[in-house]
Order: sequence, then C-alpha cells, then structure tokens
Amino acid sequence: MAAANTESRPRLRIRLPGRAGTRQRLEEGGNPEGGFRPHLGSLAFLAPGAIWLLAITVYPLVATARNSFYDGTATNFVGLRNYSDIFSTASILVTFRNNVIWVLVFPFLVTFVGLVYGVLAERIRWSTAFKTIIFMPIVFSATSSALVWRTIFDLDPHIGIVNATVQTASDLVSPPGLYPIDSSAGQTVNGLASSGVGPGPGGTLQSTSMVSAGDVLTLGLIGINPATLKLAGAQTAFVPSPSPGSVTGLVWRDFSATSPDARGQVLPDEVGFPGLRLTLTRSDGGSAGTAITDSRGNFHFDGVGSGKFLVQIDARNFRSGFTGIFWLGTQSLTPTSSLNQTARALLSVPLVDVSMIIAYLWIWAGFAMVVIGAGLATLDREVLEAAKMDGAGEWQTFRRMTMPMLAPVLIVVLVTMLINVLKIFDIILNMAPGSSQGDANTLALAMYNYGFTGLGNWGLASALAVILFILVVPAIVINLRRIRG
Amino acid sequence: MRHVKRIGMLAAAAAVIVGVGACGGTSTTNSPSPQAQLGGSVTLWAEWTGAEQRSMEAALQPFEQSTGVTVNYTSKGSSISAALGSAIQGGAPPDVALLPDPGTVQTLAKQGSIKDLTNIVGSLASNYGAAWNQLVTTNGKLYGVWFKGANKNTIWYNPAEFAAAGITSTPTTWEQVIQDAGTLKASGIAPFSLCTDIGWPVADFWQNIYLKTAGATSYNSLATHATKWTDPTVTTAFTTFGQLVGQASYLYGGVRGSLDNGYPVCADKVFPKPGATPQAAMVFEGDFVANEIISNSANYTPGNTGTGGATCTTDPSKTPCYNFFSFPAPAANSANSGAVQGAGDVAIMVKDTPQAQALIKYLAGPQGASIWAHLGGFASPNNKVASSAYPDPVAQAIAKALVNATGFVFSLDDLQGSWEKNMWQDLLNFIKDTSAPNIASIQATMEQEATAGLGH
Repeated sequence: MAAANTESRPRLRIRLPGRAGTRQRLEEGGNPEGGFRPHLGSLAFLAPGAIWLLAITVYPLVATARNSFYDGTATNFVGLRNYSDIFSTASILVTFRNNVIWVLVFPFLVTFVGLVYGVLAERIRWSTAFKTIIFMPIVFSATSSALVWRTIFDLDPHIGIVNATVQTASDLVSPPGLYPIDSSAGQTVNGLASSGVGPGPGGTLQSTSMVSAGDVLTLGLIGINPATLKLAGAQTAFVPSPSPGSVTGLVWRDFSATSPDARGQVLPDEVGFPGLRLTLTRSDGGSAGTAITDSRGNFHFDGVGSGKFLVQIDARNFRSGFTGIFWLGTQSLTPTSSLNQTARALLSVPLVDVSMIIAYLWIWAGFAMVVIGAGLATLDREVLEAAKMDGAGEWQTFRRMTMPMLAPVLIVVLVTMLINVLKIFDIILNMAPGSSQGDANTLALAMYNYGFTGLGNWGLASALAVILFILVVPAIVINLRRIRG
Repeated sequence: MRHVKRIGMLAAAAAVIVGVGACGGTSTTNSPSPQAQLGGSVTLWAEWTGAEQRSMEAALQPFEQSTGVTVNYTSKGSSISAALGSAIQGGAPPDVALLPDPGTVQTLAKQGSIKDLTNIVGSLASNYGAAWNQLVTTNGKLYGVWFKGANKNTIWYNPAEFAAAGITSTPTTWEQVIQDAGTLKASGIAPFSLCTDIGWPVADFWQNIYLKTAGATSYNSLATHATKWTDPTVTTAFTTFGQLVGQASYLYGGVRGSLDNGYPVCADKVFPKPGATPQAAMVFEGDFVANEIISNSANYTPGNTGTGGATCTTDPSKTPCYNFFSFPAPAANSANSGAVQGAGDVAIMVKDTPQAQALIKYLAGPQGASIWAHLGGFASPNNKVASSAYPDPVAQAIAKALVNATGFVFSLDDLQGSWEKNMWQDLLNFIKDTSAPNIASIQATMEQEATAGLGH
C-alpha cells in the first residue's frame, strides 16, 4: 500500500516548470564563466519582479506589522495595546470562535462532499451534466451567491424557499387557525381577551361567568386586524336576543376606532368574529355542545338543559401557523445562556454560521469535485483491479486502495480550503443580516470593518491582519512543501 | 463640467428665486447694488455631491449675481473635515468651508486656524437659536454659521393606521407613545417596526431616549466619555427603552422579526409599496425616511390628508399618507422635550477676504437656504427661512423642530471612534434581552469598550 502511495505521487505532484527551468538555466549559464557578471545579469532580470514583489508584498507586510503597534491613526506608538484589546474584547473574540468553526468544519466537509461527488460523477450516466451543474456556482461571484442564499434562508416564508417548504409541510400536519396568533412575535391567546372572556385551559379562551339556558353572553376580543375579519366576511356585531332553552351570545371585535378606549360595549362600528369554533363546557369540564359563530359573531347552543356552563373559544381558532425559522439569526446551537459574556463569545455556535457553511459548500463543492475527480482519473487501474482480484470488496477497495492513493489530492483540497476559510469574508458581509453581522464576524471581516468603515482604527485592523497572517503561515508552509514534493 | 451644470441650473434657480420673492422671504442680507462691484472669487468646500451639489449651486446663484463674486465650489465628500485639517496645515485651504462636524469647528477655533465671525455676522446671529450658536462658539466668539440641518428626532407614522386605531392626536410624552402602542396593538396592528440593521438605527433610537431622559448636557458628557457608561442615567435610558422593546408584541415580528429588520426594509413595513399593506404603524429614524417613503410610491402624501383632500388609506395604491411626530420626552423630563438629535453643516471662514465675508453673511441670511428648501431634501435651522419656503407640511415641521430646538446634539455613536460598531452590537444585545441583569452587563461591557476605544 505504501508502495502504491509513492508510486502514485509523482503523477499527482504539481510541477512548476518556470521555476525548475530558471534553476536549470542559472546552473548552466553560471558555471562555465564563473565570477560575478552572470549573476549581475540575472539580477538585472530579477530586478523588476523583485521590486514589484517588494513594493506590493514586503512593504505592506512590514508596514502592517509596524502599524499594529500604533494607535488608530497609525501615529502614536502604543506597544502591545492593540493585541491586548483584541484578546480582551468579547466582540473580537467572537471572530476567533467563528474562524475556528469554519476551519474545523468547512475544509473537511467540502473535501468529503467533493469526494462523494467525484466518485459519483465517475459512475453515473450524465456525468458531464452533473459535473457542470455542481461546478457552476464557482463561476458566480461570491457576493451574488451570498445574496441568493440570504434570500433562500429568509425568515419570511413568502420570500425564503427553505421556510416556505417547511411552512407547506407544517400547514399540512397542523393547519393554522382562522385567526392565527404569531407566538414567535410575542403574541398570546390570552392577549386577545378583552371583555367577558379570560384564559381557559389548554390555550383556549373561556367566558368569565357561568351561564345557563336562556342567558346571552357577549365575549369581546381585541388584537385582530379588521382586514383579517373582513376577509372572513365579518359584519356589524349584533347582540342576539335570549332564547329559552338555549345559550346564545356574541363574539365581537371589542375595538372601535371612534372610541378606542371603550371596552365591553358593543358599538355600531364594531364587527362580529365569524367562523369561531366554540364549545359549551359543563362545570366538570365535559362538553355539552359545540357551535360556530356566524358572520355577525352570533352563536347559539340549543337544548342545553339545566345546569351552569362556560362557553369556551377553542384553541384551534388561534393556532399559530409556522412563521419561519430564523436561519440567519444568532441563536446558539450550544447551550450558553448561563455563561458570562466572554465564555459565550467563545463557546456559542450561532445558527447563521451553519447556514453560511451550507451556502459556502454549495459554492466550493464543485471545485473539490473537479480536483478530486482529476485525481481519481489518474489512479492506477491495475492496482485497483489487482485488489479486486485478490478479493477486496467495493468498499474495501475504496477505503484501503483508492483513499490512500488519493490522499495527496485530498490534502491539497483540504489545505486550499483551509486557507480559503481562514480569510473568509465576502459571504459573511453579504449573507448575514445586519443584526447577525456581529455574531457571524470573522478575523478578515473584523479587519476590514476596523480598518475601512466608519472612523476606522488602523492599529487594531493591522494587529488583526498580523494575527490572520500568522494563522495562515502554517497552511502556506504545508502547501509549499507539497508543491516542492 | 461645473459651468455647464450651472448654466443648466440658471433657469431653474431664477424660477425659484421668483418663487421665494413671492413667498415674501425677508432678505436681510446684501442688498444687490452696493456690492455689485465687489467681484473677485471665493473658494468654498462642502461635502455635497450630485443632486445636493446642484441644489447648493442653485442656492448660491443670487449671491453670485448680486455681488459679481464667482464661487468656486469643490465637493470633498464625507472626508471634508480631514481634508480641511490637512489643507490648513500645509496646503491650499478654501476661503470658506461648510463642515458637518461642530467638534472640528471647535478644534480649529482653538488652534486659531479659522476666523472669528462675531463682527462679520453681527445681528444675523439672531437668525439662529442659542442652542445652535452655542455649538460653534469658543471663548465667547462665534466661529460658524449654520446652513443645513438634519433632524433625527422623528417618529414616522402611517396616519391611516392611527385613524383605524382611533388615535386622533400624536403623542407628546413617552408614556403616551407606550399607551398608543397598546391601543394600536388592540386594533390589530404591530405598533412599531423597529429598525435594527447592524445596530446604527438602534443607536439613534437609544440616543434619542438618552437625550430625552438625561438632557443635552449629560448627552454631550457621555459622548466624550466624561460620563461613564455605568452611570445611572444610562441605566434609566435602557429601562425606558425597555418599556417599548421589552414588549415583544409591540414590535413587528417580535424580537426575532426586529433583528431581521434592516434599513430601509423596516420603513417599508409601515409605508409599503403598492400591492402590500402596512404591517406596523410607526417607525423611528431620521428625516431621511421621507425619501424612502416617497420612493416606495409617489402616491404618499405628506401630512394627514391624502391627495386632493381624500382620507388617508392604508392601501398604498390609493391615497396613502405619511407624517411624523417629534420624539417625545417622558412626562417627568419634559424640560428635555425640545432637545433635538441630528446633524448639520456649518459655514466657517478660513481666509479673511471681502468675498469670503460676503459669502458668510449670505449663508447666515435666509435667501440661499430658502432656494434649497424649495428644491426639497433640505431643512434649515435659520429662523428667517419662511415656513412657506418648504414644499410640504412635513418638511415645514422638520425645519420648525430644528429652528425651535432648545438643545441640539449630534449622533453620539459617530463620536465613539473605533468602538462605535461594538456599541451597536451591545445595543442589539439589549434588544435580545432587556432584563435588568443584562442591562448591567451591557453597561459594564460598554464602559470597558469605551475606555479601550477612546483611550480614556
């Protein structure tokens, strides 16, 4: 197996012909003449590139490092204060947490998905079409992809397709009532009770007084929009006359625009609640009949017999529909409510991170698939067939032969994606809604925000850049080693 | 380029000047004939570009015509304060500049980099309330003349929704705001659409509450961090704010929906585009909300009556209206009710030339401001600018609030340097949890961040 590994390596090694060529030329041209002159010549050729490199890479690097020890305007030396600020400010520690989440989750996830796609693409019929579709997101700008995904995950089910899908399924299982309250927006059934009616058991509302046959009840509700009632066909409220042997009554919108503070009186500009499902309950809680209000809000329970009753407005009238999951919100997936602010900043995993990782996976899975697919195509078929001849099953071949042979490619993808997410920036800026920006913040975004928006703090932004640079260096070293072979 | 624009502007400006004359605007500035021979030129820097620059150039037309002075206008964008600072140190500073930041005016005045205007402006200083002149006075000398103001003291409401809830007069105390919110909720509409975005609208809201509960003096003290963020006045502001945002059912979509409410989407919830219905009755943000409302539909009429005297409708495709009321103070703090949070541009003189002096006098008078007021998108703190100069009752009311301001403060968050964004984040954390322990924790965090961010 080890042999198979080393055998496959040269094929996969990335060669830099220009570089090797330069080395060769230097060796060939340098030796016969000896002395310094040829070096001067090559230095002259190197100079433009070297100056360019100095100007746009080395100088900014040094200047940034210098600024990181200076104040916001980069004029006064402050020593390590920027660094101590970074590690003592909860809102900046959040960026480290998010970078860790991205680095731990994303490279492995995208490599795995890329591997699955790569293997799949080799085996299915329409593989070119499949690969094209999977690869397509990479040609879109990250900004537009982020905006598309922001819409996909939108809180409002009328906009976000994810919530719309959940809503459709949810409405099938538990349809919302005729007058749904939005419990996620802080509305309660009890908040609807206005006059003659109060909280009942199990999310119902019930009359505050007991009634018997021949009585007339008026139950006033508030907090429902007139447009909703109009849609349900509501007409002017009307108090029914008593009827012997029956419990009659009215459920109406106890709110008048002409006297907004008047409660409990049925005023001429108030309308009934149509379509409400009511239950007449005995004192022992048992049902003595059901009724539905008409367009004027009237109801009647006939032939109720003797005894005292309560009129209950069923909970299903107000059942809250699915109002969306805040996919781009900052609610933590880990329980952190009992922690202090710093611990919370370090340990919570906001949902918006997960949503953004999904979106970013969509963008980059195609790249991983193509690179891994290229690796798969160069695998030595003879070795794989030999393994099968020796009796290895499909999974065994994959696990014990393909994977090790593919390892160098997988590591290239992994390291490339690691560097990619260490400096992740645009998807967060464009996908997370404003209020989630702080909790979804990463080092690169914080660096930009401190450096280039608002009043700016060049010192702090430079210190963040230096830290980011230090974090990226190991990944770069690994990649360079791999390239050198 | 600019000259081409100017020629184009000439006709429009001339028409406007006639309009101002008809409105009976009192011209207390330069009478044309004595200064007609003045000639020469003056350089002017301001932040305005695009449409605002054209409006400014139109506002300067009468000055150029009556004095023969050519105004060389240069737009410096939002970086004007920094640009002026470096030009004064070693460059070619303008003769006159309009700065959006009275703090810079104070700094430059103390450095002796700008001229004392006390004698030049003279009695024209009475065109501004004491609150305005005080902002640009150092050691008893006046260094600036206000030209343009912005009002962030505005709670916008949909008049049709107020009518549907039977609210006939707008609230004048914070308690009435909360009470009316209860009435609106009972009528079946979310009282407030709370703008959160990345936190700046929450900061604007909170700052208004702090201004109205603690007063302008405390406000300015907090802005410079002379008052600590752990101060009881800060706690009071949070608790007062909590009376509204602590009631999730007073906010459109509750806390969750508020956190999803960026600007200008939050304004659209109250003033939707045709085809939608209002989801909330009120929204707080500055006078710039009016632009968003009008861009949603040209049907929106300023004031409490629809087009042609029709009743305001909630349906934006019919006769919808928009209006605002001034952010009220709690009844116990009624002394602060006239304090206004906002922004403004103040004219300063860097070089003392006759032309610069003439321009300062012109800007202190009502003539130029009246022209821009006619063109729209403008409010002047100058009390000589006639109410009739403004195109509609809402613009008049915005300007009137500026003129009558008993105290005027600038946005506090913009003075916080690099911790401004942390402050926004802290205020968003408050929206998520308005409990007393969280307020205490947020105050402690803010104090630490302010100390680190401001270095004192």
